[in-house]
Amino acid sequence: MGGINTGFGAWNPIAWTLLFLGVLIIGFFLRSLGRKDYKRGTDQTQPFLSGNPAPESPEALHVSGRNLYWGMIHGLAGYYERARKAHTGILSDYVAWFIGALGLVFVILFWIG
Amino acid sequence: MTLPRSFKRALWVFHIATGSCNGCDIEIVAALTPRYDVERFGIMLTGTPRHADVLLVTGPVTRPMADRLKRIYDQTPDPKAVVVVGGCGCTGGVFYESYNTVGPVDEIIPVDVYVPGCPSRPEAIIDGVVKAVAKLETLEKSGVSG
Repeated sequence: MGGINTGFGAWNPIAWTLLFLGVLIIGFFLRSLGRKDYKRGTDQTQPFLSGNPAPESPEALHVSGRNLYWGMIHGLAGYYERARKAHTGILSDYVAWFIGALGLVFVILFWIG
Repeated sequence: MTLPRSFKRALWVFHIATGSCNGCDIEIVAALTPRYDVERFGIMLTGTPRHADVLLVTGPVTRPMADRLKRIYDQTPDPKAVVVVGGCGCTGGVFYESYNTVGPVDEIIPVDVYVPGCPSRPEAIIDGVVKAVAKLETLEKSGVSG
C-alpha cells in the first residue's frame, strides 16, 4: 500500500484519500438535506444581520481578531494607554527600562537581605 | 406550493419583537418552558429567519422597526406563515395611531393568523402556530403557489 509506519504514527496516502472522499460524501449528503427553495438574487440569500441591511462592501462584514479583544482593550484602556506610550520602538528606551527594572530588583533584594 | 419534508417533521419559528412591552415575548418563552414544552412537538425558536417556517411577530411596529420587519419577512424562505401575537400587533392596541408606530403588523407584511390578547396566553400562541401550519397545508393541497 506504500504506507509508512514509524511506531509513533502511520501514513498511508490511499487510506487518507479514502477518508477524504468519505468526509466529502458525508458533507455533500448533509448539504443535500438542506432546503433548496431559497430564491436566489433576493433577500432570502442575504446574511441575516438582525434585520439591518447588509453593507455594500463584503469587507465591512469581516470580523477580525481585533474585534474579539475589543472588550478587553476597552476595559483595560488605562493600562493599554500607558503601555503603548512606554513602547516607543527606540532601543535606548528599552535599555533604560531594562537597567531601571534591574536596579529596582537589586534594591528590593538588598532591602530584603 | 410544496411544503418541504423538514416542514412536516419540525416547525422552526423566528420571533420578532417590533417594539412590544415584552409581555407577549415572555408568554412566547413561557410556551417553551416545561409546563407547555412545545419543543416536544418539534416547534422550536430559531436564531435566524433564514431557517424559519413561521414568523411570530409581537409589538405595534415602531417606526424604526418597520424596515427591519419587512426585510426579515423577505429573508424568510417560502413557504412561510406569519403569526401576530398580542393586541398591539393585531390592531395597534393602546398605541393605535401613535406618532411613532406604523403598525399594525398587517400594514407592513401579510399576516396569516392573529392571536389577540394583552398578553396572549401560551395556549393561544400554540393554537395560533398550529392554525398557521393548517393554513399552509391547505394551501399545499389546493396547489396555490406561495
